[in-house]
Amino acid sequence: MDTLDRSRAPEVGTPPAMTFPEVEDYRLDNGVRVVLWERSALPLVSLELQLRGGASAHPAAQAGLAAFTADMIDEGTTTHTALEIADAVDVLGATLTSSAGYDASHVRLSILRQKLREGLAVLADIVMRPTFPEAELARVRRERLDQVLQRSAEPAAVAEDAFARVLYGGDHPYGASLLGTRESLQALTRDDVVAFHRARYAPGQATLVVVGDIARAELDPLLASAFDGWSGLGVDPAPLSAAPAPAQRAIYVVDRAGATQSEVRLGHVAVSRGTPDFYPLALMNTILGGSFTSRLNAKLREEKGYTYGAGSVFDMRVAPGPFEAGAAVATPVTAPAVADFVSEITRLRDEPVPPDELTRARNFLALRLPQRFESVDDVIRRLSELVAHVVPLDFYAGYVAAVGDVDAQAVGDAAGRHLPVEHMAIVVVGDRSLVEEPLRALGLGPVVVLEPPAPAAEPLPPVREEQ
Amino acid sequence: MGILDIPFRRHRLDNGMRVVLSHDATAPVVAVNLWYGVGSRNETPGHTGFAHLFEHMMFQGSLHVPKNRHFELVERAGGALNATTWYDRTNYFETVPSHQLELALWLESDRMGWMLPAMDQEKLDNQRDVVKNEKRQRYDNQPYGDWDERIHRLVYPESHPYHHTVIGSMEDLDAATLDDVAAFFRTFYVPSNAVLTVAGDFDPERTIDLVEAYFGEIPQGAPLPDLPGETELSAVIGDTVRDEVVGEVPLPRVIVAMRIPPYSSDDFAVAEVTQAVLGTGRASRLYRRLVREKRVAKDVVTFAFPLLTGAGMLLSWITGYPGSRPEDLEVALTGELEALGDTAAEEVERAIAVTETDLVRSLEHAGERADLMSMFELYFDDPGRLNTEIDRLRAVTPDEVRSFAAGRLGPDNRAILTYVPEQEP
Repeated sequence: MDTLDRSRAPEVGTPPAMTFPEVEDYRLDNGVRVVLWERSALPLVSLELQLRGGASAHPAAQAGLAAFTADMIDEGTTTHTALEIADAVDVLGATLTSSAGYDASHVRLSILRQKLREGLAVLADIVMRPTFPEAELARVRRERLDQVLQRSAEPAAVAEDAFARVLYGGDHPYGASLLGTRESLQALTRDDVVAFHRARYAPGQATLVVVGDIARAELDPLLASAFDGWSGLGVDPAPLSAAPAPAQRAIYVVDRAGATQSEVRLGHVAVSRGTPDFYPLALMNTILGGSFTSRLNAKLREEKGYTYGAGSVFDMRVAPGPFEAGAAVATPVTAPAVADFVSEITRLRDEPVPPDELTRARNFLALRLPQRFESVDDVIRRLSELVAHVVPLDFYAGYVAAVGDVDAQAVGDAAGRHLPVEHMAIVVVGDRSLVEEPLRALGLGPVVVLEPPAPAAEPLPPVREEQ
Repeated sequence: MGILDIPFRRHRLDNGMRVVLSHDATAPVVAVNLWYGVGSRNETPGHTGFAHLFEHMMFQGSLHVPKNRHFELVERAGGALNATTWYDRTNYFETVPSHQLELALWLESDRMGWMLPAMDQEKLDNQRDVVKNEKRQRYDNQPYGDWDERIHRLVYPESHPYHHTVIGSMEDLDAATLDDVAAFFRTFYVPSNAVLTVAGDFDPERTIDLVEAYFGEIPQGAPLPDLPGETELSAVIGDTVRDEVVGEVPLPRVIVAMRIPPYSSDDFAVAEVTQAVLGTGRASRLYRRLVREKRVAKDVVTFAFPLLTGAGMLLSWITGYPGSRPEDLEVALTGELEALGDTAAEEVERAIAVTETDLVRSLEHAGERADLMSMFELYFDDPGRLNTEIDRLRAVTPDEVRSFAAGRLGPDNRAILTYVPEQEP
């Protein structure tokens, strides 16, 4: 140790190899697909019941229905009240959550192995026998309408919603937030929720992802008893219509008078998870905005000090999802920040990536894989994504090699195909009186002023039902 | 023995740096975690926000590590890293593939020992801008974003180090100089004020040698100065004190904050359990009664701040519906505080169970284990408290919760902050 050389990073050995177990993948008699990753480090089990089709499985006019249904699923069953369910979960030391994304709905249980039987009984009860009581439905609707109101006051949420709408328009499910809109939430009925539940929460649409300290021989009898009597195919989600063709680049401004920062978003409708360019895009985006040392963050934060953080993401879904770059930037530097976004995206598209930067991105993706599988809940998130996006379950076994195979040419080709900077939409939520003219002066495209989300027209009467 | 039995071993360098090693080879990763005993409570008047700005400067390079290199090397190694600043401490952490342990030790030791030669005005100006943007993004440009600042002003007197929040003021950030950076570094970023924890997959003997080699030659530093201001506090605020904001918020909200025993007190566990009875989960009192039964609130939040100096803080807020009257929200919320006098045994049992679940679940990550061991070593000289923490929770009785509520959550100990949406003209 007396030869310590502080002048350069220490030489280290080779990375630990990451091995992946065989994942069991089979069906129960009632058609439920089971995906089991056994892992015995701790006496914990996590399960996710995933149902095909989330917000993409209902018309855009019903925006919010998938998430509304998920929210209502534990509000009472034919045998237990909502409060009994919540109490039971807490006393078991479990967590039970439900949610919906665009491509799937999810009910997730995390529990100690020795409590699995009781936990499964609760999960099966809410999935199989929810009653969606009118009184709870009215309350949940009110809560969700108020969430819409709250989103309208949060600049980042306003930017996200405007960005989705500009990209996908009003007729595509990806064009609205998962929460829905004031209009769509007011129009939803109990019948809509019941119908959505019937179509989606059925064995024929379900995959049960199980991770933790349990073997198939123990698991199967528990599942058979918990889900006894559950049957049906449900309805396969229809394929999504294509997103609108890309428009000419424009800057969309949502006014937020007095804002000290502008929320900026840039992007376009990009690729689905099934894209053959998955790996080149993963590397390209790591370089552009997917890591702290990415070009966007280096330029906008560490060089210019315009923002607390800038980044980008390809949000890949079953159908083509958005590419989105963004940051919250100080009001006076809004226009120069937008110019930097455009120039960094253009530079990545038009100039080859230097070898050292590519190596760094490869290592970033490949070497952090073990961390992405550290806990039971980490593993279940990874598997859940694979199932939702219809990706083979051995995906991660080939991940490191595939990342290593991507060369600069492949990254350049992918950038050329998937960064159409001349057609990107630019959304800015900020003080219009201060940002509009400088944005116009950039000459990047026409400036279109969007209406800010409307606040509630009038306070709704409090919801009160007899208990 | 308790239900947790996470192994650990302690070591102390000659320069006073405390080291905790906790081996667990479940995943091929290792977490390196450093806690420095300095936070916003150490800031003198005119320097609010400086401890946090300083934390940003710690990523701007050191004698052997150029600007941006720290993040770059860790990301290149497949690691994750960050740092946070809190009232009582500042922590720095990275989780890396296990073979990269030495990289993390090299980076952390270089900035502990040799940060100042790399500082310059341009870096300070840049990070000042970044931090001001952090303040705008997280506080100034958010509805209700100033609640933290306003509540601290109400709960802690002006002379107390918790009177101001971690993010500080724009004016004080503007006033920060390179001399301040140097003085702060020399005073607080010394081995005797630091705890290093290594958790995960590593060779313990070799790691001790590496830690000795990388950190052993850093000079110990002087004893810390006393905390600024008056640290003594009465147990309760002494009154119901108020603040009201009429502004750009979508919904009315009432926040009630109360002084509670400091984190170092045995009674803090009682406060924690009481907090969970009140507001953790959908079977909690506030959710059950105010959201579900009476339907006066659309959401509830409760939190117990684990603070060391004088008093911690228990905080609860409820958000109303459009048109809800803040007076009604306040009555509903304070009514539930008073009703805790009839807390039942099953409620306490449930509260302990959910608190326990959250703790145990977090321990799967090496980074979390390391962070908690650093905290327990720095605060209480006892990393093993991680293993006994659940026993402390389980020992809390319904009687303790009831008498805690009666003694500590009454009208003589309330800071009430109300947000009211501005009426459209």
